[in-house]
Amino acid sequence: MKDFHGIIFAYSTAPELRELVSVRTSASLPFCGRYRLIDFSLSSMRNAGILDVGVIMQRDYQSLLNHLAGGKPWDMSRRSGGMQILPPFGLPEYHRGNYAGTMEALNAVSSYIKDINAKYVVLMLGNICANIDLTEPMKQHVASGAEITAICAKGNPDGCRIAYAVDAEGYVSEMLIDTEAEEGELASLEAYIINKETLLKMMNFALKRNLYRFHNDSMRIWLNNGGKMATYVHDGYTSIIRTVEAYNKASMDMLDKDKRHCLFAADRPVFTKTKEEVSTYYSVEAVSRNSLVADNCIIEGSVENSIVFSGCRIGKGAKLRNCVVMRNCIISEGCELEHVIVDKDCVFSEDCKLTGNAKLPVVVPKASKL
Amino acid sequence: MKKKVIAMLLAGGQGSRLYALTQNVAKPSVPFGGKYRIIDFPLSNCANSGIDTVGVLTQYRPLQLNSYIGNGQPWDMDVADGGVYILPPYQSAGEKGSWFSGTANAIYQNIGFIDTYDPDDVVVLSGDHIYKMDYADMLREHIEKDAACTISVLEVTLEEATRFGIMNVGENGYINEFEEKPAHPKSTLASMGIYIFNWKKLREYLIADEADPNSSKDFGKNIIPNMLNAGEKMWPYHFQGYWRDVGTITSLWDANMDMLSTTLINLYDPEWPISARSPISPPHYAGENSKIVHSIVTEGCEIYGHVENSVLSPDVLVGEGAEVLYSVLMPGVVIEEGAKVEYAIVGENTIIRKGAHVGAAPDGSDGWGVATCGPDIEIREGATVAANAMIYKSEEV
Repeated sequence: MKDFHGIIFAYSTAPELRELVSVRTSASLPFCGRYRLIDFSLSSMRNAGILDVGVIMQRDYQSLLNHLAGGKPWDMSRRSGGMQILPPFGLPEYHRGNYAGTMEALNAVSSYIKDINAKYVVLMLGNICANIDLTEPMKQHVASGAEITAICAKGNPDGCRIAYAVDAEGYVSEMLIDTEAEEGELASLEAYIINKETLLKMMNFALKRNLYRFHNDSMRIWLNNGGKMATYVHDGYTSIIRTVEAYNKASMDMLDKDKRHCLFAADRPVFTKTKEEVSTYYSVEAVSRNSLVADNCIIEGSVENSIVFSGCRIGKGAKLRNCVVMRNCIISEGCELEHVIVDKDCVFSEDCKLTGNAKLPVVVPKASKL
Repeated sequence: MKKKVIAMLLAGGQGSRLYALTQNVAKPSVPFGGKYRIIDFPLSNCANSGIDTVGVLTQYRPLQLNSYIGNGQPWDMDVADGGVYILPPYQSAGEKGSWFSGTANAIYQNIGFIDTYDPDDVVVLSGDHIYKMDYADMLREHIEKDAACTISVLEVTLEEATRFGIMNVGENGYINEFEEKPAHPKSTLASMGIYIFNWKKLREYLIADEADPNSSKDFGKNIIPNMLNAGEKMWPYHFQGYWRDVGTITSLWDANMDMLSTTLINLYDPEWPISARSPISPPHYAGENSKIVHSIVTEGCEIYGHVENSVLSPDVLVGEGAEVLYSVLMPGVVIEEGAKVEYAIVGENTIIRKGAHVGAAPDGSDGWGVATCGPDIEIREGATVAANAMIYKSEEV
């Protein structure tokens, strides 16, 4: 399937993710006990046979690099092609702030994109939580002859901010920005299949005019000039994670069997970096209800409506309700936590109590000692 | 490429006493302890001991074992100058070719493989023991004692000693006598089937033994006694810690239950990880009405019922109202609503239909035992599988 090449945008650090992105990018945010958000876009590509993928990153990418492990978990460690890590390269000095927009990010790695051999490029966000069967829109894109195919959803999944009005043939008639999709419109997942030539033209156009935004600038101008954009509707669980609230909601959604089985479809597995780990042990006093618990935990307390990542220790009498507890945390005896998102490597000493609210979960930053 | 030491892992055994569980797979690839297969223990021990070249001798039903070991990546053995090699019996030009006729013959047939690495010493291991052991430490002693062969030994009770190969040790600490399953043991040092040989010496004995038509080509029966009789220096390496042979249904079940205790064998020790090739499944889900007590559970499981004192492998489903007590469920097992499984081992991907009852609690009778269901079968709705029963096919119940 060398007709298609993937590009994943993993440079963004959404400020509304607060403490969760103080030490990482949104794409490397841990999710659902053992994954990172970027696993979804990478696995969607891998399951569609796209093994040549560029990952655009800019800063705070240590955790991301560690996770990507050279692309091996997604079969993207290839003799030729495979995963390519794309940090900024050769930018002029005045240009070394944050990427102001996707066009700027693309232009920062333009030499890589120019060298792509494939005819089509699949663009995806690194912080999308969706298991998309890309084979269908890929087939459709080639058959339709459209220059761009936008992958969309019906309804308004969390985090979608671009809507497309669509004509009778399914082509985009209007793009609406920073809005929810209304009746008859489609919500954009900001995932596109684009002809490489079209992408290069858009990048060049943007570069010459100092335009840096993807939708607001390039896409709008391209559409106004009569560009034909087809649409494809992805039907399945979707959330684009840009805020703590969305992260919390998507996490809790995974406790729902149908949503979980949709995102972790048996025929399109979600791949991630594996660590050698042992099973989780439940002691005689343990209680676990409506919860997801990863491997290598020792549960001696009570876990309810919660997600516990690997390597955690939940002490006797400790109570977790509606919590997300990331890797290698120690929740000692008698602690009570409710509506709390605990980042990696935190230690709660005995009898700590912390309560957030369903609308406003408390975020405990990485490696906090309480 | 010269290597100081390489390991040869004997994994050809059928494991006939595990019956239904080894119909289609070799004993070393039987699932164990939740995330593992039996062979993960010796392979991980090699990796943790710094041995990066392992020959795995296969013979009986090797397909699953071959695909499981693959390129050895889970054990970090996908290295450029070594790695893990599957070594099946083979045919040479002008010869008929033959199966491995004994443990010593299996190594004999692979002298060519070992010679390519020109090792000083060779570690010979069994693929059916559960233990954590630093072979590097044993090798240090082997070199220090200038032994032709070092045998790992374990202190057992006098009663147990009648079931093992027993080493008698002289005043200088070296082995001076070996008795296979003695009726009246003179010592309680049992061989664990773990050997380190000086390769030059072993090579000579293998060739000599092969020429002997009366030999059964076995390490315990032939090679070790021959070396002793010839006056070679044989050193006992005293091992302390957890070690189990899992050759029978009862011992397999017992050893699985041991995994519920971290004091017997600590699998949570980051310094000595036991690695496995794992599926990538989401974390396990514990349902609203689930009850999980004194058990180990792993990725991909969905638990809606009651699980107690049990070992669950990946991707097991326990339905609403189902009970799983004192049991071992292998990967992909489904226990439907209201079914009860107690004191049982259930093979891979087997389905226990609604309301079925497998196994029974010990009642003190002689006939009691752990019930076993083989892999890929179906126990129909409402059926009963008695204690000590062994089910090979769906039609049996």
